[in-house]
Amino acid sequence: MIIREIVTDTLLGLAAATVLVSSAGVLLMRGVCDKLHFVTPAALVAPVLVTMAVLVHAGFSATTTEVLVALLFMVFSGPFLTHATIRAARVRERGDWRPGPHDGARSGRGHQ
Amino acid sequence: MSGFVVVAIVMLIGIVPCGVVVWRGTAMEALVGYEAIGSIVVMVLVLLAEGFGRFGELELPIVLAVLMFGSGLVFARALERWL
Repeated sequence: MIIREIVTDTLLGLAAATVLVSSAGVLLMRGVCDKLHFVTPAALVAPVLVTMAVLVHAGFSATTTEVLVALLFMVFSGPFLTHATIRAARVRERGDWRPGPHDGARSGRGHQ
Repeated sequence: MSGFVVVAIVMLIGIVPCGVVVWRGTAMEALVGYEAIGSIVVMVLVLLAEGFGRFGELELPIVLAVLMFGSGLVFARALERWL
């Protein structure tokens, strides 16, 4: 019982630390790309830790299944949202999301 | 006050920096802050429902996660095309 509480509190503490560091990164980093890097831990790692904490605390039941559903949705939707965001940022910055002549080696036409 | 409620309050503090980005940043930076806030609020709702033992309210984070995904895509596409 005590071990279960210790594990739960440890997981919750890690989740809180992850969220705080991610929030600080979102505030301090410059540019959309750098800020997006710090959204991912808050959107993927912290929910996994919270769900593990709930599972350890309450066991596997109908209640925890709802938490699992929310977590799975966040895990699967997060990359799509990040991709859409960075694509929008690139279109706003350069007018097109595809690599152009000024993108260097990534376009396959640079450094020649 | 259980550990779940304490961590929920700590996570709510993490919303403040993201709110500053939404308030002060460019439109795209505001979208990033909005997505971060959405992710944090989903976890806060899970933690509060678990902490207070109100398991019926665990549907709220599920609904919010779905709505945050849809609204994030809409904002991204709107910023890409029109704004």
